[in-house]
Amino acid sequence: MDKGLLSYILIPLLSAIIIPFAARNRPRLADLLANATLVAGLANLAWLALRPSVISGGFADIPGDGLSLLLVATVYLVALCVTFFSAWFVKEGMPNRQAYYSLILVSVAAMCGVITTSDFFTLYVFVEVLAVTSFALITTDESAGGIEGALKYFFLTFPASALIIAGIAVLMITLGSLSYENLHIFMSSDIPSGPITFGVALMLLGFVIKSGVVPFHTWTPDAYQGAYAPVSAYLAGIVTKISGVYAIIRIATLMRFFDGRAQALSGILMFLGMLSIAVGALAALRQKDLKRMLAFSSISQLGYIVLAAGLGTPLAIMGAIFHLFNHATFKTVLFLNSASIEKSSGTTDMDKLGGLEHSMPWTSWTSIVALLSTAGVPPLSGFWSKLLIILALWESGLKVYAILALLFSIVTLAYFMMMQKKVFFGKKTPASENSPEVSAPLLAPAVLMSALIVALGLLFPYFFSYVRMVAERIIL
Amino acid sequence: MNIFSLDWYLIALLVFTGFYCMLASRSIVRQLIGLEIISKGAMLTVISAGALTNNLVFAQALIITMIVIEVVVVAAGLALLVKNFRINGSTDIWKLNSLKG
Repeated sequence: MDKGLLSYILIPLLSAIIIPFAARNRPRLADLLANATLVAGLANLAWLALRPSVISGGFADIPGDGLSLLLVATVYLVALCVTFFSAWFVKEGMPNRQAYYSLILVSVAAMCGVITTSDFFTLYVFVEVLAVTSFALITTDESAGGIEGALKYFFLTFPASALIIAGIAVLMITLGSLSYENLHIFMSSDIPSGPITFGVALMLLGFVIKSGVVPFHTWTPDAYQGAYAPVSAYLAGIVTKISGVYAIIRIATLMRFFDGRAQALSGILMFLGMLSIAVGALAALRQKDLKRMLAFSSISQLGYIVLAAGLGTPLAIMGAIFHLFNHATFKTVLFLNSASIEKSSGTTDMDKLGGLEHSMPWTSWTSIVALLSTAGVPPLSGFWSKLLIILALWESGLKVYAILALLFSIVTLAYFMMMQKKVFFGKKTPASENSPEVSAPLLAPAVLMSALIVALGLLFPYFFSYVRMVAERIIL
Repeated sequence: MNIFSLDWYLIALLVFTGFYCMLASRSIVRQLIGLEIISKGAMLTVISAGALTNNLVFAQALIITMIVIEVVVVAAGLALLVKNFRINGSTDIWKLNSLKG
């Protein structure tokens, strides 16, 4: 456990305990407490990482391995956007407002636990806590769709946990310990690694199911589509990424995929990543529901991260980490915008929507920024991460994967353009006739995230030096 | 055949029983029971690993934590089942098909 970041786990937990008691009869206090906790955490993180002395020193005196700090900041950022959005989105009469914020804060704490831990058993514990809070969050509005999505999520993550436990048992026999450190030392030595690779492969299968990579992706669209609108932004933006993809990246660095000691595993992971990119993008082309299309797009973007993690060279890990961060920014914008559209026009069916460009200009423009970043159009941040991933693939001689990744990036642009045309451009349909722009507080998170996308794209050299420092620290 | 391999035969049997239970039944409640059997099999692997490496204390600590987590997850799952029954009026897994695309 990284003790320097322990307070980022404990303070949200404390706040989650306080909210139901302090705000029992005052729903506005619950909003305030949840937002204040997350803002304080973000301010603290900014102080840790963005002081002028730290930046000029090349981020050398950052606590831990840098990756945990970056991801904790991402978790807090997405959670802040979602709670700020919810404060105005959740209806006044909703009975479980306090429980909702409590659950979000517990899941923030669990995600920080997943990120800062340094052994596989603690990782399992926090992933399970995260899963339980997600079931409850998905069913917040008690709709039939929410229950169905949560049940499907439940029935697929449960066997995944069993696989992780079995992997832990095999590691206990073969390695004799569960800490990352020992696995890393073992993989750096020359001892044949067969049985250990088997144990890690079992765990990896569990995390692949939990993150929704293609053959196991069936729960993802249902859970995202059925979930309560701000919760689907939270789930797609960060929760499933931390509970699955982060562990995959971590295992990829620990197993040292780049020096070829676990080549079969690395090959399978890369194949699954490529399959996710392809299936996600092609399925997104024919979706009619906005949220479901975004869910398939999320599967496709996840494929890029898994592909890069499977390759495992320092450049690819850099790309994977950067794409994980970018995915959190642009997917949060898109899902929050879909929630705004749902609030304003009452539907997310793309065939019923149309011509929202004039009545909802802010939503339309932030969507355009986010979708261009997803598709990897040059000045925006998504371009740089995809460039890093494709360069890493090309450098390692995997030219077919590199070309396919590039081509499916164009398919990404295609389905997003179709989405934009159906929802925002064209003539007004009856459903979007009376849909005014949502209020300013609901737009603020999307605008903030869009500004971040543009800023990261333009200030990429600074961010690159940070990500390079992270990749060097976790791989070597 | 030593005790260790016997352990793992039993575990494999248990896990396959669980999967059969999930595949053969349409009721969500029975499928949850099947899942429980699978996860019990997974826990036995940890105990068996602890016994093999003479490290039962460590295995015990892991298992107790796992049981606690298991209880929480199953409680959340059962709550979902109850809510689903109240909304849809059935426990048939094949009727959960309102989300499609």
